[in-house]
Amino acid sequence: MMTENMAGMTGPAKKAGQIAAGGECRSSATTANHFKLEPRLEDMKRNLREGYFKRFRDSEEVDVLTECEAERISWPRRMARLTRRMCEAQRVVICPEDLIVFTRTVAKVPPIYSEAEYRVLTAGHRLHELGPISNICADWGLVLTQGLSGRREVALKTRAANRNNPAAVEFLDCALETIDAVLALARRYADEARRLGRFDVAQTLDRVPAEPPRTFREALQALRLCHAVLWLCGHYHCGLGRFDQYMWPYLKGNLEAGRLTEAGTEQLLAEFFLSLNRDSDLYSGVQQGDNGQSLMVGGVKRDGSCAINLLTNMVLRVARGVGMIDPKINLRITKDTDLKLLELAAQLTEIGLGFPQYSNDDVVIPGLMAHGYTAEDSRDYSVAACWEFLIPGRGMEVVNIGALSMSAAVDTAIRTGLASGDSFEGILDRVGADMRRQVDRLIESYSGLLLPPAPYYSVLMDGCLERGHDLSEGLKYNNYGIHGAGSSNAADALAAVKKFVFDLKSLSPDQLITALDTNYEHDEPLRRTLFEEGPKTGNNDDHADAFMVRLFDLFADACEKVRDNGRGGIVRPGSGSAMYYIWLATGHDGMIEPVIGASADGRKRGESFSSSLAPSQGVRVRGPLSVLQSYAKPDYRRICNGGPLTMELTDTVFRNPEAIHQVALLIRLFAFVGCQQLQINTLNVETLKDAKLHPERHRNLVVRVWGWSGYFCELDEVYQDQIIARHVYGD
Amino acid sequence: MLTGVVFDIKEFAVHNGPGVRVIVFLKGCSLHCSWCHNPEGLSPQPQVMHSAAGERVAGQVFTSTELAARINSQAGLLRAAEGGVTFSGGEPLAQAGFLAEVIDQLPGLHVLLDTSGHVAERDFRLVAARSDLVYFDLKLIDTTQHRFHTGDGNEGILHNLHVLSAMKVPFVIRVPLIPGVTDSESNLSAIAHTVAGMPGLQRVDLLSYNRAAGAKYAAVGLTFRPTYDELWPLNVNTDCFDFAGVEVRVV
Repeated sequence: MMTENMAGMTGPAKKAGQIAAGGECRSSATTANHFKLEPRLEDMKRNLREGYFKRFRDSEEVDVLTECEAERISWPRRMARLTRRMCEAQRVVICPEDLIVFTRTVAKVPPIYSEAEYRVLTAGHRLHELGPISNICADWGLVLTQGLSGRREVALKTRAANRNNPAAVEFLDCALETIDAVLALARRYADEARRLGRFDVAQTLDRVPAEPPRTFREALQALRLCHAVLWLCGHYHCGLGRFDQYMWPYLKGNLEAGRLTEAGTEQLLAEFFLSLNRDSDLYSGVQQGDNGQSLMVGGVKRDGSCAINLLTNMVLRVARGVGMIDPKINLRITKDTDLKLLELAAQLTEIGLGFPQYSNDDVVIPGLMAHGYTAEDSRDYSVAACWEFLIPGRGMEVVNIGALSMSAAVDTAIRTGLASGDSFEGILDRVGADMRRQVDRLIESYSGLLLPPAPYYSVLMDGCLERGHDLSEGLKYNNYGIHGAGSSNAADALAAVKKFVFDLKSLSPDQLITALDTNYEHDEPLRRTLFEEGPKTGNNDDHADAFMVRLFDLFADACEKVRDNGRGGIVRPGSGSAMYYIWLATGHDGMIEPVIGASADGRKRGESFSSSLAPSQGVRVRGPLSVLQSYAKPDYRRICNGGPLTMELTDTVFRNPEAIHQVALLIRLFAFVGCQQLQINTLNVETLKDAKLHPERHRNLVVRVWGWSGYFCELDEVYQDQIIARHVYGD
Repeated sequence: MLTGVVFDIKEFAVHNGPGVRVIVFLKGCSLHCSWCHNPEGLSPQPQVMHSAAGERVAGQVFTSTELAARINSQAGLLRAAEGGVTFSGGEPLAQAGFLAEVIDQLPGLHVLLDTSGHVAERDFRLVAARSDLVYFDLKLIDTTQHRFHTGDGNEGILHNLHVLSAMKVPFVIRVPLIPGVTDSESNLSAIAHTVAGMPGLQRVDLLSYNRAAGAKYAAVGLTFRPTYDELWPLNVNTDCFDFAGVEVRVV
């Protein structure tokens, strides 16, 4: 069921008396005992959706450039100065209902170089996306346990030991400047709180983020402030990591001391979740909602023991009650995960936010280890913005240097191979060669990668202050990740060529090439044959699935050939598509991958590809069990950049009293068969269609887009239509 | 080896039994309930369905081994997820011999039979004995009413219900709530009275009316002629079941 409808949910259907024929019959199992926002937070949520907090924003830009130019200071110092000036420019906002404070008032991140200077500075280099370090995750556990004062001590100690190393001294001075800037901002908040008589807020900020938190509230406040400042310095897609692990000690201590009840804790947690939606419209992304505020729970500890605790459960419950797109919840499971936990997760799945996204520890951990991560670090994984596996605090990885277009590799190979009279194996050889070319080109284009200095982010990572090196110089893990886009359509195209051109010989190479070149305009019967009678990935049919497996193997081969990505790391192939399932069909500014015209799977020009791992759009599919069986086939030890199996369930599934249990079982099956990652959209196609016609009635309608959730009505139409065209199961 | 005609196989059918299930719809039914929402299940033969999306054939012929192999390819998943296979229709017992042969090739898999009971006792026993759970449809206790709305009387159905009860196979009574037809206090009370105390009875499910019932009639060249007013409010008062000590739920 859609989030927007939750308020209209009727109670237990038994004893309901007269209801309209065909009306909603809701089960008691799914309505019992859900977390509800207290009135204070209901108001806050409404204010968030109405943009209330935008009134605190200043329109004028902070000028950092003038002083940077006058003083002619270095890049690291400019970054530190930016952090300081942005913190200073923040006006203090303490709303009466806020227990956890911070509202962004400076809307824009100003430049620290003139355009001309920046061009000179970056000449001959490659920048990643917008430039600033993004899409990684801080070591929030480290930041909380040491406090910023503790981080300051570490920086001072390293500085003392490296007095004769000017680069280290400069870096550490910059880091110290950023720490002091955040502490000064916290002090201003504390002072204003005292002036307002908000002694609770003042006391909290007197303690954190300087010192380690003593309470759950202090820990949440420290995290909110330290995380928000990252965005202030131009970083984006800032992850939240393994929240139930690093936060648990503070909650546990509180509960044991009797200082907090579970109910009180949940409201505090809800306020923290709401706070992550306060400034998020300022965060950059391909579409509104694509902001990388991913939060992981569950799984195992670094020593391999079970990591699930009360907070794991609480996060799932509270995220359901909050019902907003941030933070994006991720849950680590195995085939043995307790069904009770999966039922809580299924209840979150039910409301249609498109999360939790599920990762299978049994597959991911061995995969990371096979890619050179230590066993302890592998067990400590979280995800970047969407799905890309990373180790919080220990990696300066660029998990999305681009996408390998499987569709381009296959389409080119089919056209040139058929024109040259190749055997089918010959076509596959061309696919492999094209993939190597694509991977090499991507790596080549990143060979001159320039990561700007990031003194503040360095403070939050494990090892930068300790060694006196800025994060941009690298960390324990420095790998690259490449998405693998269009896998199902590409596999289906190969399967169709194999069947009709080579096995049945019912289609000549010329006839197919002509049909592709003319977008099937003169041969609709042929298109239908290819589309309806060709083997299709996702039906547990080896005739198609084997090609998908082969494509990922070829992709892994191409990545494994790259011994060093230029930063001392390797290249991880992934199964995600990111936005390429649209871009490869429509084209996009700056995209190096070619637009794919009509393809041999019977797809016409302009039609979207399926998102990440999912059967091609519109093809017949047996159902979700076959889909699970198909997508369990790739060797995920080699394909370890992440990329979820993407599945849509109709909201009518949840009318059944046992649905929560059944969906929990389905989620566990995903782990049982050996898939790697799963996201489930709960939706109603008719509602989505109505939302296109009457957006004003569906302002709060949420959908999972690719690796993130967004408000349906805020998406570009092409993304809306692709979701409407997805396979929906459970009818 | 026998062959059978199947008009659909659905995976993850949450409304058709416990756990994660595959549901197999067998073609052919001897009743003609005016609210039937699977009109392609009525005729025992494969037939072409016409719709805006094009043509497709409803009805695929399987040997019992082929159908069992298809189901067994997912048996590991179904068992791991507390589920199994559900045979529905149409009326699955219209192909009782075929179905029994299929079930005999599904060792260790939970089998649910979803039946109207409108078949010969011999056929009923043949498959019910091979089933772990039976969903038994009970629509109307008054046989005249039954004949009016479904095309035949209910004597055979009630007989098989007692056969089932004596066989000690666990079963669930399923009542489709049809506005003004099956949802009357008198009918619900009579159903409660009929099933109360039967040894294998697990509970009664009252199935909310599906207003999309008529959607597929044109596609198979039939006309949807409900014997009731679809918009009439539905009575879902479950007191009579509570009173008779019968567990009931509305789904």
